[in-house]
Amino acid sequence: MKLELGYIQIKDIVFGNESKISNGVLTVDKAPIEALAKEDERIKSVTLDIAKPGESVRITPVKDVIEPRCKVEGDCDIFPGTIGSVKMAGFGKTHVCKGMAVVTAGKIVGFQEGIIDMQGPGADYTPFSKLLNLVCVFEPVDGLKQHDYEEAVRFAGFKIAKYIGELSKDVKPDTTETFEVCNFKENMEKFKGLPRVGYVHMLQSQGLLHDTYVYGVDAKKILPTLMYPTEVFDGAIVSGNCVSACDKNPTYVHMNNPVVVDLFKQHGKTINFCAHIITNENVYLADKQRSSNFTAKLCEMLALDAVIITEEGFGNPDADLIMNCTKIEKKGIKTVLVTDEYAGRDGGSQSLADADPLGNACVTAGNANEVIVLPKLDKVIGTLDYVNKIAGGNENSMRADGTIEIEIQAITGATSEVGFGKLTATY
Amino acid sequence: MVKEIERAGIPVVHMCTITPISLTVGANRIVPTIAIPHPLGNPALDKAEEKKLRRHLVEKALKALETHVDGQVVFDK
Repeated sequence: MKLELGYIQIKDIVFGNESKISNGVLTVDKAPIEALAKEDERIKSVTLDIAKPGESVRITPVKDVIEPRCKVEGDCDIFPGTIGSVKMAGFGKTHVCKGMAVVTAGKIVGFQEGIIDMQGPGADYTPFSKLLNLVCVFEPVDGLKQHDYEEAVRFAGFKIAKYIGELSKDVKPDTTETFEVCNFKENMEKFKGLPRVGYVHMLQSQGLLHDTYVYGVDAKKILPTLMYPTEVFDGAIVSGNCVSACDKNPTYVHMNNPVVVDLFKQHGKTINFCAHIITNENVYLADKQRSSNFTAKLCEMLALDAVIITEEGFGNPDADLIMNCTKIEKKGIKTVLVTDEYAGRDGGSQSLADADPLGNACVTAGNANEVIVLPKLDKVIGTLDYVNKIAGGNENSMRADGTIEIEIQAITGATSEVGFGKLTATY
Repeated sequence: MVKEIERAGIPVVHMCTITPISLTVGANRIVPTIAIPHPLGNPALDKAEEKKLRRHLVEKALKALETHVDGQVVFDK
């Protein structure tokens, strides 16, 4: 089975009277987008804006970042089970609007969402400063509860991204890339002799707006299961997070998961990338035990030689990470862990809440407590009301001269635990 | 905190949900609780049932405090 991604490079975004993509320029008519958002009676209004790389613009509080895509061939719609019908994703043809994103914003929790700077040192920490961003700031109706507001904004974001994606349906892609997957038997025969490598993909599922959805199912309700690695490219996994923005995977990151992409690059050459296992990070100990048991069992059943495990978030999910690591290692399967660190502002404290000597191969995505000073920027999309309370901020974060002293924890995607960022370290 | 209080000669029971972390950090008497967002309660229960649950957890912790241990013990029975 194959999935072909057709990339349409978006070079500019402008507002106009008719939504279309022409010569790489996306023209957006605001009216149909506002109408889409207001299909949900929980949304009072949406304000649209455009933020471009290098502009003196700060976007906050950022909820999600989404890449517009469109199914051209294949069974499913984009975001299957979430806004599309519940059909299997990951094969056929999909068009991708490259170089841009739909960014959803609003003061849902306020102190938990993130910051995207389009210019300056903050821009270096977020991968989304390099994109043309269509920013949608949502206002809820009066008295709406936070979890309803979150759900309304989540769905509105997907609908808008789908709407933009569909404008690319008849556009000829600038480039294409094909990802091929096969069944277990074919895989065993075709790639005999290559090390069998799996990806254990931990999904944030702590609840209370720390959530991820798989084909529309709340990930806290799943048992670990197997995916074709191409399924994420069609939006099979989406974010419902409104928490410390540095290390939660926005939907954009799920759709472009760099671990999946890079494993595909080596597939059939140096490794046999034969399993994409998803698991969760729940708040009950029995759930953590059960899910890590199942993850290790699946790795064993698939006769894997090695796995890469990525965490999402920090704190108690560190316990899930270590359980996954130790149980898989005890099956005789090598593990590499990808995580980030909360090692204090000086980097001197213990990095993770849990540890084990079997976790002896670990990649860090950076120390989220690292402090940065963000300059005053000319324009704010959203509001700065929450900067002093945001996770990573303090009562002195917002300074009199308009600069912000803050931990990189507050910057969307700064310490991405799937490596969707620029922070690197040499050992 | 658990370790510092014990260092002062006062026995401690650590009531927590993620007992593996408690084991890693070195608590000696560990009583498992309900869930991270609500360690000592359960909003799914009605008031009377929840009170019973809470009393049970506290009694279990007091019992653990009286129990002699050699090394780390999770009171999960």
